[in-house]
Amino acid sequence: MQKSSCPVRNRYATAVWNYADERLGLSELLAFAGKKQVPQHKHSFWYYWGGISLFFFLVQCLTGVLLLVYYRPGAEAYESVRQITYDIEFGWLVRSAHSWSANLMVFAVFVHMFSVFLMKAYRKPREFGWWSGLGLLGLAMVFGFSGYLLPMDELAYFATKVGLEIPMSTPVIGPFLGDLIRGGPEVGEHTVQRFFALHVVILPALFVPLLMFHLWLVQRHGNAIPPGEEAVPAAERESIPFFPNFMMKDVAMWLIALNVLALLASVYPWQLGPPANPIAPAPLGIHPEWYFMSQFQLLKVLGNWFPGITGEILGIGLFTIGGIVWAVIPLYDNDSRNGRRGRIATYIGFGAIAGLIALTAWGYWVL
Amino acid sequence: MNYPVWDVPIIGSGWVIGMIAIFHVMISHFAIGGGIYLPFAEARALKRGRKDWLEFLPRHSKFFLILTGVYGAVSGVGIWFAIGLAAPEATSTLIHNFVFGWAIEWVFFLIELSTAAVYYYTWNRIPDKLHLKVGWLYAGTSIMTLVIINGILTFMLTPGESWLAVAGTGKESAHFFQAFFNPTYWPSLFLRTLVCLSLAAVWALVTGSLINGRKQPELKTEVIRFSTKWLLPAFFLMPPCFVWYLLMVPESQRALLELGISTIGAGTFTQVTRMVLVSIMTSATILGVVYFIAYRDPKTFRVGYACAVVFLALAATGSTEQAREMLRKPYVVVDHMYSNAVRKTPVNVNGEAIKEVDRFNRDGYLTNSIWATEQEKAAWAQWDRQREAAQVVNASTDEQPAAPNVTPEILRRGELMFRGQCMACHTTDGYRAMRGFLNERDLQSIKNILGMLHGYEETSPYRTYMPPLVGTEQEIEALAIYLDNMVNGTQAQTENVASAQ
Repeated sequence: MQKSSCPVRNRYATAVWNYADERLGLSELLAFAGKKQVPQHKHSFWYYWGGISLFFFLVQCLTGVLLLVYYRPGAEAYESVRQITYDIEFGWLVRSAHSWSANLMVFAVFVHMFSVFLMKAYRKPREFGWWSGLGLLGLAMVFGFSGYLLPMDELAYFATKVGLEIPMSTPVIGPFLGDLIRGGPEVGEHTVQRFFALHVVILPALFVPLLMFHLWLVQRHGNAIPPGEEAVPAAERESIPFFPNFMMKDVAMWLIALNVLALLASVYPWQLGPPANPIAPAPLGIHPEWYFMSQFQLLKVLGNWFPGITGEILGIGLFTIGGIVWAVIPLYDNDSRNGRRGRIATYIGFGAIAGLIALTAWGYWVL
Repeated sequence: MNYPVWDVPIIGSGWVIGMIAIFHVMISHFAIGGGIYLPFAEARALKRGRKDWLEFLPRHSKFFLILTGVYGAVSGVGIWFAIGLAAPEATSTLIHNFVFGWAIEWVFFLIELSTAAVYYYTWNRIPDKLHLKVGWLYAGTSIMTLVIINGILTFMLTPGESWLAVAGTGKESAHFFQAFFNPTYWPSLFLRTLVCLSLAAVWALVTGSLINGRKQPELKTEVIRFSTKWLLPAFFLMPPCFVWYLLMVPESQRALLELGISTIGAGTFTQVTRMVLVSIMTSATILGVVYFIAYRDPKTFRVGYACAVVFLALAATGSTEQAREMLRKPYVVVDHMYSNAVRKTPVNVNGEAIKEVDRFNRDGYLTNSIWATEQEKAAWAQWDRQREAAQVVNASTDEQPAAPNVTPEILRRGELMFRGQCMACHTTDGYRAMRGFLNERDLQSIKNILGMLHGYEETSPYRTYMPPLVGTEQEIEALAIYLDNMVNGTQAQTENVASAQ
């Protein structure tokens, strides 16, 4: 009799497994998952951040679907979120979990991106992994931006107005972009409708296939070894199979991530401010979400130093150049033998981290 | 009330105690659990003739000695130093009742520290059996420190009817044992013992993770799996012990938790319930995380993973300690002393039992304050006469009293009321910020809230977690003016008045 590939040693489980395996080819999937080895070294901690990002995305999907049951876009947006937060049993928890996990997901994606960058995991043959990852980060930020307006409270309204200044500062097409996004000259119920469609239909339709592509690439090429570990002789390098060993540890990290999320959602539940009032003055210190703060601050500073369109062109130009450099880094530093290029790329990475943190902190400091 | 007030901006004095205490609990409970773990593991290794274990255990005992002997001891003293500053009246009550208990604890503490050092420095220098006896002596004395301190800690939540009956009469020390073996003593002792065993596992995972899994796979697997099993007693026995503990908590305090549980769905549940939930969740997660990353794959268990487990244990400890502290609201010693250091039980003054709340309301909270000058007190008396006269005139004409004349002396009076009765729990801008709580309220609205706290009616919604606000009508009004100035005046005004004094 042929030996079963069932991962559980139990008579009944094996019988069920064999039944499903014959029809679905589960053992092939298992072999594919077990083929990938995850290197074990002092920087292995950073391998978890992709999984943690994925976990928060799954929480987003689950809580997002639950919010969809009660949320009503358009003129009733605020009232429906008020009901979710204060009237519906556990609505506050679902909304808090959704909002906190959105922030935690963006944070985890940032950590994942910088760890990939500094471990040189964008080098050949992983360039498409890097580009698809950048695409996912961009979509995650648009997810965050579009979702922030949906409660239509005072803070969401004015933060969206402020946030829209970034695309609107694009020379020539800026005003057109602004009208297109808003659905009119001002942020209003049409904007909520557009953001809602973007948030629950268009973005998921783009995000999910791109995520699948990204995960397939990770499975295909495996985890990269950082340059420091490449110097270790191959015989001395340690690794563990992705399935089930690394997967077990991943589950443990997900449990920790769930704890952090539950702690934030229950101890610091997401509040709802007063309804948006377009004719009221903007509250003091209004600002976009933390992950847009560095861009916002840079635009503000350049606007002060170079008043008028010069500052705007300079700001948008810097973002564009920065984004292009960040995206093409795998083409510049494409081989582990590129000592000098590798070092320059590392400096760029640390410079980007320092710049983002400094500008964000500066932005909050001067609020 | 004449003790200095410890003004800790942003976090408040309570969090200074909290931050020291949470880390201290992590270490002090390890000092007991780890003290049992070491001789137990040593005896096991000797019995099995395991040289590799006997090479690992000295490394673990070195880590144990440094962590408990240095950080544990320093943070323990730090707690008492901090509570002496943050809650001097309550600390004084504890010292007056338990000085004998503390003296005994210090005897055991000295033996504990000495034997811990002897245990580490005599590895392979004295006969194995004698070394093991030193280990067990350490374990015994460390358990005794818990046996004693547990009585003092639980007293604050459940001082017991016997002690409360004599509180304020000067005969409290005659009821030492009743106060010591109070209603929550035994469930708390069991709970803390289980925590000790769990923390023995958590910290042993740290040193276990440092074993080279490639060179000593068998040892690493055994040490990690042996250590993880020390978590099991806690996870099986903690739930029934916790229920036992809750059943012994006074109904009035348990109501705070029950109120929170019944309002979870609406999201308005109390802070203490939130903390209990976090505590249960993080504790359960530790078992899951340890199973997945340590027990299932011990050879690749690295120090980073061990740190993640320590982090979870820290979250569990922090939330549990905070929940335990908040369960006492609005008291610092339940049914005896409120969190603003005002006693609920009558005080014996010249043979007469007087309630402090009534005395302060009649004679004034600041009448005998040493923090106000005679000139200030004279200005307050003059202001009081003006306010009383205005009220008499207005009572005859049915009009509202004229707005009070705000002078620096009155703001100072309000500030002293704030420092004496609010600052034990509240800050101006940080933790439990008054500016946040009173935001968008005007003077009348602040007066209404203070009136409710002062009246302390049975139906008052604040009664479950706020102490009574004591003082004369004019003192309460001065506090309202001070708070109004803090919230609605400019910050500079309030600070200028404070600094000018």
